[in-house]
Amino acid sequence: MTDFANIAASAISQKPASSRRRISLGSPIAWIGLAVLILSWIAAVNLLNIPSYILPKPEAVVRALWSGLAVSPASSLGYYLPLWSTLSNAAVGCAIGVGLGLVIGSLMAEVEAIERLVMPYAFALQSLPKVAIAPLIVIWFGFGDGSKIAISALLSFFPVLINSFTGLRAVEPERIDLMRSLSASRLETYRIVKLPNAAPFIFAGLDMAVVYALLGAIVAEFLGAQRGMGVVITQAQAVSDVAGVFAALIILGVLGIVLHGIVRWCEAKVVHWGANRKK
Amino acid sequence: MLMMDVDNAPRRASAAPDDVLIAIDQLSKTYVSASGAAVHALSRISLDIKPGEFVCVVGPSGCGKSTLLRLLAGLDDYSEGRLLLDGETVAGPSRKVGVVFQAANLLPWMTVRDNVRLPLRVGGRHAPAGDRIERLLAVTGLADFGDKYPYELSGGMQQRAGICRALARDPEILLMDEPFGALDALTRERLNLELQRIWQENRKTILLITHSISEAIFLADRVIVMSARPGRILADLHVPIPRPRSFDDIVLHPDYARLAKEVRGLLNAQEHGHD
Repeated sequence: MTDFANIAASAISQKPASSRRRISLGSPIAWIGLAVLILSWIAAVNLLNIPSYILPKPEAVVRALWSGLAVSPASSLGYYLPLWSTLSNAAVGCAIGVGLGLVIGSLMAEVEAIERLVMPYAFALQSLPKVAIAPLIVIWFGFGDGSKIAISALLSFFPVLINSFTGLRAVEPERIDLMRSLSASRLETYRIVKLPNAAPFIFAGLDMAVVYALLGAIVAEFLGAQRGMGVVITQAQAVSDVAGVFAALIILGVLGIVLHGIVRWCEAKVVHWGANRKK
Repeated sequence: MLMMDVDNAPRRASAAPDDVLIAIDQLSKTYVSASGAAVHALSRISLDIKPGEFVCVVGPSGCGKSTLLRLLAGLDDYSEGRLLLDGETVAGPSRKVGVVFQAANLLPWMTVRDNVRLPLRVGGRHAPAGDRIERLLAVTGLADFGDKYPYELSGGMQQRAGICRALARDPEILLMDEPFGALDALTRERLNLELQRIWQENRKTILLITHSISEAIFLADRVIVMSARPGRILADLHVPIPRPRSFDDIVLHPDYARLAKEVRGLLNAQEHGHD
């Protein structure tokens, strides 16, 4: 529950909860690190005689990757169909989770009665390892896309809920005074002051939510599915194709980096006034 | 005055004569601090301000002068006494009032022009402003900065925009809470001069809170000196120095030295308790 610790810490320090690390593709240190990792991998496999069902040779992983990527997008052997299935379910779930998180987080921040009603449950649920609920959700929603979407939505809901709530409450009182002195309505204050003010927090939540949505979809696929990257991994595991598992993990890792980059890019477009520069 | 409250009419005749715009009568404010103790911020303040007057309030820090401004702006409730704006009891923010906050308080996600226009966009319908916004920007030297964002402006320019915003609805009263406190001395003098010019051009009633004695005497028709908490009015000093005033001339004026000495004496007597 490190994410929860992050959120709690951010609520105290009043700063958006997100690793503000930039994954910069231009950084030479990152590339050197990767090269060292691969070299020590090659060295370990060749010098220590590790069996390939424990740690495959890098070239075997590259071959597995290639066989999955260098096919027609419609091929049942490639990564494209399962990737699309996983991604689309994760995206729908993420949209639902983020939307609900934003709406309920806003209601909690605006209406004290709702805060008092929802907050204890939100914290209790947040402390619960949510993937543990996944089997229950499979019972409710079946083995189709429904359970994947539901688990993705559940996992992406909480970071957005907590972050939007924290961000909306973190408004400088002077800005609220300004809107009050102008007799602005509650909705005007929300739209013009509170929501933009909370945007860096909400994006930090969104950053976590996209990764969690992917995680949710994969976990749901582990529990039973006909297609998806989770199925690719379990099928490879079933025949001890460790190189295939590695290849699928690399695909998911790259996907996570791409999603993170997209969120960062959107944040830079929306939060254009340099809220982070100031801090 | 179309909306004059009938119930207030008789009281208005007795408490607020026609030439009084802001009537403060035996006003007290007590609030409960975080530790649960009652804090007497203001104690029986009485003060009448005429239309078009420029009044500066000086006092030691924490004397309740900002509290007074918040009560006038309708942002806080008062505990006792009466507070009338233009004959009407203050029961919340009024359209007749524009507030200039400390450190400009602009919204960083809006351009300067949108910040200045904000009062016309919220709080119900407003009379068309015509080209007022553009004129305000021009008068304060911000004409070329309307499309910039606040962080692209210097502190002095930000506060100019803050003043423009307070004037956007063309209010009768301008309340200013230490508006130039965060600026360097030179910028501050320049903005003092500009504020004097703006005031001379459209004769708003201004109540400005400051802790600078020279700023208060330079700007004000009347300097109100407040005591340490609970805030009381120690002196109400008329400033008979002709306008337009300049910083070079005003220090040579005999009344300047006299007033500065008097205000400083009153404030020093207050500070004694703290040291």
